[in-house]
Amino acid sequence: MKFRAGAGRPLTEEDSVLDLQRGGAEPVVRLRNVTKRIGGRTIIDNLTFDVPPGEVFGFLGPNGSGKTTTIRMMVGLMRMTSGEILIQGRSIRTEYEEAVSRIGAIVENPEMYKYLTGYQNLLHFARMVPGIPKKRIDEVVELVGLTSRIHDKVKTYSLGMRQRLGVAQAILHRPALLILDEPTNGLDPAGIRELRDYLRHLAKNEGTTVFVSSHLLSEMELMCDRVAIIQSGKLIDVRPIRGGAGVGVEKAEVLFEVDRPDAAVAALDGAVVRMDSGGVVVSAGREEAADINARLVAAGVRVYGIRTVTKSLEDQFLEVTGGGRIG
Amino acid sequence: MADFLRLIQNENMKIYRRVRTWVMLAIVFFIPLALALGGLALDSSPNMWTYVQIDISAMGWLITTFAVVIAADIVAGEFSGGTIKLLLIRPWSRSKILLAKYIALLLFLLLFLTAFYLFSLLVNGVLFGFGGGTEVLPADGDERSPLAYITAYYGFRLIEMIVTVTMAFMISSVFRSSALAIGLSIAMMFGGNIMSAILALVDKPWVDYILFMNYGLASYLNGGTPIAGRPLAFSLAVLAGYWAIFVALSWYVFHRRDVAD
Repeated sequence: MKFRAGAGRPLTEEDSVLDLQRGGAEPVVRLRNVTKRIGGRTIIDNLTFDVPPGEVFGFLGPNGSGKTTTIRMMVGLMRMTSGEILIQGRSIRTEYEEAVSRIGAIVENPEMYKYLTGYQNLLHFARMVPGIPKKRIDEVVELVGLTSRIHDKVKTYSLGMRQRLGVAQAILHRPALLILDEPTNGLDPAGIRELRDYLRHLAKNEGTTVFVSSHLLSEMELMCDRVAIIQSGKLIDVRPIRGGAGVGVEKAEVLFEVDRPDAAVAALDGAVVRMDSGGVVVSAGREEAADINARLVAAGVRVYGIRTVTKSLEDQFLEVTGGGRIG
Repeated sequence: MADFLRLIQNENMKIYRRVRTWVMLAIVFFIPLALALGGLALDSSPNMWTYVQIDISAMGWLITTFAVVIAADIVAGEFSGGTIKLLLIRPWSRSKILLAKYIALLLFLLLFLTAFYLFSLLVNGVLFGFGGGTEVLPADGDERSPLAYITAYYGFRLIEMIVTVTMAFMISSVFRSSALAIGLSIAMMFGGNIMSAILALVDKPWVDYILFMNYGLASYLNGGTPIAGRPLAFSLAVLAGYWAIFVALSWYVFHRRDVAD
């Protein structure tokens, strides 16, 4: 498979300014002051952020925070009250067909035509985009691992199979941007893992930008390069998750599970931050952690496990959203 | 254009890949057969054209009902099934997606009505012998051929069916409820007959502008009009007016609506 190249239009002055800030890559998605008001209530309040190409971008927020509404506006299912959303520079408001042809999406559950077979469903969506050969349908079916069941009616599918079919219809036309709303809902752990690996594969090997919403913080941590955190329709923070500068250099709290915490404290000579259940917590970088382990072992302390207890995304999330109140 | 035909192809697939459509078609074939067999058993001198006439005038409502069921489902079903979210996020304007649905619906109506007519001709012709039929004409010495007369009758019924089915389509699009669309359309179809009989007694000009008062176009073939004292063109104009309103409402709401659930 070959990733369809980017916007393919002359860069404007505004682009080049942003390109400098972004290190040369034009954002695949740009939200500018996006606001949605329904009946005097502000559901989405002035959202502005960019999604750089080739990233798995998480959109994180408690239930009711406006994730799905934002996604619906991104794909044109809902209108913005004000603001602008650009997909590879195309406005979803004024150049809808141009903009949406670059998107593949599952909005909430992958609800397909249950009375049709999986194949007929894919045929249906393939017909709506010019230039998708039958071969491409077979290829996608193979890719999501539905080959043996694709000619069965969708009503006989398990949730996991429907999810795969949902992914298949979303990637049929090789979109530059894949939007998945709560994709792990209802999947079993194996399914979640598979989806996660697949999304990372798409981003890494095909350059597809993946935009995933979730309220599952642990999921986001494993899947995403960057997350935007939203609460009550407001953007709270955008932060990188993995591969950020200083991984391993930055000091983090490391828990050493040991048999005798007292002995460990003595052996480490004041380096211990605090004692924890069944172990000691030390502030250390990657290399230091290895050294500390050696010292403990040398002192005859048995080490059962070593793990970082830096604030997880969950802690950070609860911190910034103040305990995850319903927006 | 070729691409747009693929949208209609999609809508057709969603209609004809369902068992219910084939059950309906089976019923459409069964009815002329059942009525003809009844005639064969009970009627002392059955005639092909009499039974062709009975088929459409007695059972035409069933074709309308089937088309109303399709109309009710064709938009509302996408909402209740959640598939509307996948359908709309394609490089097509909402208006064109809705147009493909409306065309597929009219094709369904036309197909079913034609199938009904042809099968009615075939069954009654085979059972009662082709030919004859001056009995169905309104007056002795009428020069028209029975085929021309019945075909004109079908034509007038088709116009009414299109209006009823478009109303169901509008309710389906505006209220996203297939139950409401089916209920209201069928209530109007049957209740309209009774209501028009009652309202005909009301001596006010506005009564003539009520939709169902103008049904019964085929009475023109027998020298009448749906509303006494009003020409056929009046009823046709009123029906056209309602049709235009139904279409405008369907498109306006479908185009504007936020898909939010």
